[in-house]
Amino acid sequence: MPALLEVQIATYRGLVTGDDGEAASFVDGAGLPPAARLNIYRNTFVGTLTTALRLSFPAVYRLVGNDFFESAARLFIEAEPPRSADLDAYGAAFPDFLARFAPAATIAYLAGVARLEWAVNRALHAPDAEALDVSRFAMVEPTAYGRISFLPHPSIGLVRADHPVDDIWRAVLAQNDADMAAIDLGAGPVALLVQRLDTGIDVKRLTEAEWLFAEALCASRPLADAIEAAGSLDMPTALAEHFRMGRFVDFTLTEDARAPD
Amino acid sequence: MPPDPAASEERSSIPATAGIGLRFQHHQAVIDTRPDVAWLEIHTENYLGDGTPLRYLDAIRADYPISCHGVGLSLGSADGIDRDHLERIGRAIARIEPALVSEHLSWSSVGGHYLADLLPLPMTEEALDLVCSHVDETQSFLRRQILIENPSSYLRYRHSSIPEREFIAAVAARTGCGILCDVNNIYVSACNHDWDAAGYIEGLPPAAIGEIHLAGHSLRQLEGGQAIRIDDHGSRVIPEVWALYVKALHRFGPVPTLIEWDTNVPALDVLLDEASQAAVLLRHAEEGSEHASAA
Repeated sequence: MPALLEVQIATYRGLVTGDDGEAASFVDGAGLPPAARLNIYRNTFVGTLTTALRLSFPAVYRLVGNDFFESAARLFIEAEPPRSADLDAYGAAFPDFLARFAPAATIAYLAGVARLEWAVNRALHAPDAEALDVSRFAMVEPTAYGRISFLPHPSIGLVRADHPVDDIWRAVLAQNDADMAAIDLGAGPVALLVQRLDTGIDVKRLTEAEWLFAEALCASRPLADAIEAAGSLDMPTALAEHFRMGRFVDFTLTEDARAPD
Repeated sequence: MPPDPAASEERSSIPATAGIGLRFQHHQAVIDTRPDVAWLEIHTENYLGDGTPLRYLDAIRADYPISCHGVGLSLGSADGIDRDHLERIGRAIARIEPALVSEHLSWSSVGGHYLADLLPLPMTEEALDLVCSHVDETQSFLRRQILIENPSSYLRYRHSSIPEREFIAAVAARTGCGILCDVNNIYVSACNHDWDAAGYIEGLPPAAIGEIHLAGHSLRQLEGGQAIRIDDHGSRVIPEVWALYVKALHRFGPVPTLIEWDTNVPALDVLLDEASQAAVLLRHAEEGSEHASAA
């Protein structure tokens, strides 16, 4: 009699890789062959995960259509089956998969739209957190400001793309063909900040310098480093905007702004 | 044997009447119209984050008792239950404060991979010991009783030696968990495996039944000419399942009963209509059990 673990490993292999010979040997075939019975579970496995991806990437789905999406999703699912039952977290690697997926190469902006949709999905499901109380800076000596490192709000996501994927995303989800037609795909790269606000998901365009500044701060690099990373920037205005929008929830003082190399 | 009214009292703070599964499509409609339904059930896994879904639920759960129905804990995994997932659902349950918590007699994960389906277990002593230890682990972690649902299934293992109804009854007896009796699943599995559906219900211990599920399923014709019933929760409850439900109520007494609908989800009114049909049968069962206790 096979051990339970043996049965489960064989069934996993049968469903994910299609190699179901061993799994079939454990299954009662009365009335219907074991392979046909296992196939019902394989269809549910692929179907459930395809639906989860469709819900997280609705604009990608509309851009490529049902058949293309299903075949791309099937290949992705076989290559990267989920590691947990939290399906809201499934699909983080789908944008990179699309970027490498040869049949999608003709839609140059597809992976960029997917990256934006993943940031939106993360923002939707991120934990709640209280915005940082700026009066706490009263405790910090002005000479130590450069050593402040922030903890970003968990809903914040930063996305860069070579095409105006924010405009594409909005037009596709609104099913607005006129807006879609008006988009200049050659308008150049965009740098975006995604955040959940009380009013919903906010997708905001930043300048390159603002984006680099935000990226460094959200990676909890000290303020002095973030200023250097951003290059030319009206830093006080940019920082005040981050505070006003509640983008940080905490801060610490790092020992040294820049450790010696 | 008439049901024990004391056991029914202790079951939960969910009333022994009809509820519906709450799906995202109906969040706004439920908030706006406050439908006349006694309770709501959610899939725990849809509310693991703190974000938007939970805000809707917070606006709803002030007015309706909630049942948390899990689909991802994989109580039958031979290599152990995923402690990270148990902690995630523990946090969700602490936040949502449901009246009932349930999971399935099935497995979904092995080797750190999640198969996104409720797979049947071989009905063996090894699997029984394992499921019991995982139900114990879950109940101690959550510090509450859980209900275990009988699955629908499309395959059986050759080496199964325990009838499923005896297996689930043994899990309840050994761990103190309750049973979520899915009447549609009994019908689907009975048709697919040539079991006696009424005999399945007769074999379950009434005092352990904490909830009943009803749903629609579909009949799929396969290439070889065979047919198989697929538990897709995408249509109304069929008459044969309503008839089996009446038998279940006769055996168990009135039990909180849920209408589940997960694919091709219709307007809220359709779910409420199904729930009102269940409510009528529950009232009959209530009167029946009063007559029985008066006699």
